[in-house]
Amino acid sequence: MIAYILRRLLLWVPSVMLVMLGVYALAFYGAGDPIKLIFLRAPGDVAYDPVKIEAIREQAGLNEPFLVQFGTYLLNLVQGNFGNSLFSGRSVWAMISAAAPVSLLLGLMAMIVTALVAIPLGMIAGMNQNSRLDYTILGTAVTLWAIPAYVAGPLLMVMLLAILPKGAMPYGWGGLFSVKIILPLIVLSFQPIALIIRQTRAAVIDVMTEDFVRTARAKGVPERVVALRHILRPVLTPVVTQLGLIMITIVNGAIFVELVFGLPGLGRLTVQALINSDYPVILAVTLIGSFLVMASNLLVDILYPLLDPRATDPKASRV
Amino acid sequence: MTAGPIITPGDDRPGSLWRDAWRRLRRNRLAVAGLVILALLVLVAAFGPWLTPYDFLSQNLDARNLPPSMAHPFGTDDLGRDVLSRVIYGARTAFLVAVLVTAVALLIGVVLGAIAGFYGGAFDKGLMWVTDMTMSVPQLLLVVVINASLKQPITLWMEARYLETLNPIYRNSAIIDFVLVFGSMALISWPPYARLVRAQVLSIRNRPYVTAARALGLTNRIILTRYVLPNAAGPLIVAVSAGLGTAMVLESAFSFLGIGVNPPTPSWGNMISDGLRVWTNYPHLLLAPAAVLAVVTVAFNFLGDGLNDALNPKGQK
Repeated sequence: MIAYILRRLLLWVPSVMLVMLGVYALAFYGAGDPIKLIFLRAPGDVAYDPVKIEAIREQAGLNEPFLVQFGTYLLNLVQGNFGNSLFSGRSVWAMISAAAPVSLLLGLMAMIVTALVAIPLGMIAGMNQNSRLDYTILGTAVTLWAIPAYVAGPLLMVMLLAILPKGAMPYGWGGLFSVKIILPLIVLSFQPIALIIRQTRAAVIDVMTEDFVRTARAKGVPERVVALRHILRPVLTPVVTQLGLIMITIVNGAIFVELVFGLPGLGRLTVQALINSDYPVILAVTLIGSFLVMASNLLVDILYPLLDPRATDPKASRV
Repeated sequence: MTAGPIITPGDDRPGSLWRDAWRRLRRNRLAVAGLVILALLVLVAAFGPWLTPYDFLSQNLDARNLPPSMAHPFGTDDLGRDVLSRVIYGARTAFLVAVLVTAVALLIGVVLGAIAGFYGGAFDKGLMWVTDMTMSVPQLLLVVVINASLKQPITLWMEARYLETLNPIYRNSAIIDFVLVFGSMALISWPPYARLVRAQVLSIRNRPYVTAARALGLTNRIILTRYVLPNAAGPLIVAVSAGLGTAMVLESAFSFLGIGVNPPTPSWGNMISDGLRVWTNYPHLLLAPAAVLAVVTVAFNFLGDGLNDALNPKGQK
């Protein structure tokens, strides 16, 4: 088991490094000279003083080769130093740590909501395959999956306008226990819920044909117990493996949800950085987002054999 | 195993596979509804200039922010432009981007995926590795980085071409927008196609009819294009229908974020983002593009699911 985890880690670290290298290279060659970008924003004589620019370039290590600069960036990264924003001059790390709690709390809550809503609904749909109930749940899931957050959010708000006064519309961040979080949370959870409903349903349909389910039913185990003891456990395994995909959905969705509802999280930070061509911030947020997704994929890889011992046991065959 | 089209012995009526699929698709009411909605969209996009009641750019400052009425079924916006006309032109933008991006991504994906699956080896390993990595980064963030990095080089290149040729087309900012949007979208859209084609080719390349073709002494190129790829078409069609929907959503997402198609060119995404600023007073400005986009994406998904059931009958009950 430990050898397995080590092997996974050994494969994982170079992948993360390569993604970082790729993203860094894109920003490095695309953005052009960061010092010039700073000076273009600073009006006055400084912008045209080649001697000063050269001095700052030398001091900032911008004359070093690409790989050396990448290495320095990584070393700073490990120490929690993401450089400074080109736009505001503030430390990128400070900007991120101010914005991150909003996004993390929202994302975490969305995951909990997803698990609580989607797994029961998916089980109901799967255990009543091809019934009217199944079609209703599945149809709703397809619809929720199809509609992006920046469309679902506005549509819900326009509908709410019919029953709520204008001033009561949720906008901004009021903390985890404020009513303002309800609407963003619902919208952010739509797509993950749809994803997990379909996954759970498919897994349930698969498990229902297994001998142990038929045996349990034949010996008269009540349907409720069959659902909770015999079906739920094997169903959880394939559902948990979707963690990486859920992370991608939530990271993508959070950008739009934060914009629509005016939440001061990482998503809004990214979009502002994009409008200002603030490369250090774009780079940092992209690296963090990719790291989160890759870390969840690694976690799934490590958890999988614990949930399903057949995965690493060569003698057993997967059904 | 993924199900390719199944060749039943004794069944030699030409096109019977497609006829069966079409029959199965017609039985699925949701898929038919999706198909009808999308067909309407194509018609509206194609004949847009003859359908729009007003010019999508013409402003009428006496008729600003009007609620829906007989003269303006979807109302007017803050510059007095007719919202219905803008929504129709938005369909043209969405459709153009979706078709072009999907075509480019499909071409790259099919060529790379087929070569990797058919020949294997180091190329295959490398390709799988690249697709693994691009698919493990949140799409939108990757696009944001690509978009931010490509903007300057493309703008510089266009400016250089302009100075060289003095052709004003190189100074048209709408063209830069389109090139950027196509470029970054195509760059992130091909990996799923490549993986799908590779998996199909892997499962097909050792089937008896391929072995037979090889035994006849046909070249690899002919085997690949005449025997292997046509039999991978079923799942590919499903993927393309889903991909068109995804590309359409991506375009509107870009425009919503302000990095896609910029005003005054109408796109549902930038109309939604404009509508969000004033929606408490003029909800129709937000409702019209959002509702249309929602209906279209749902239609794409129902059609995609229907196609999946119709073309992969093994997955059926």
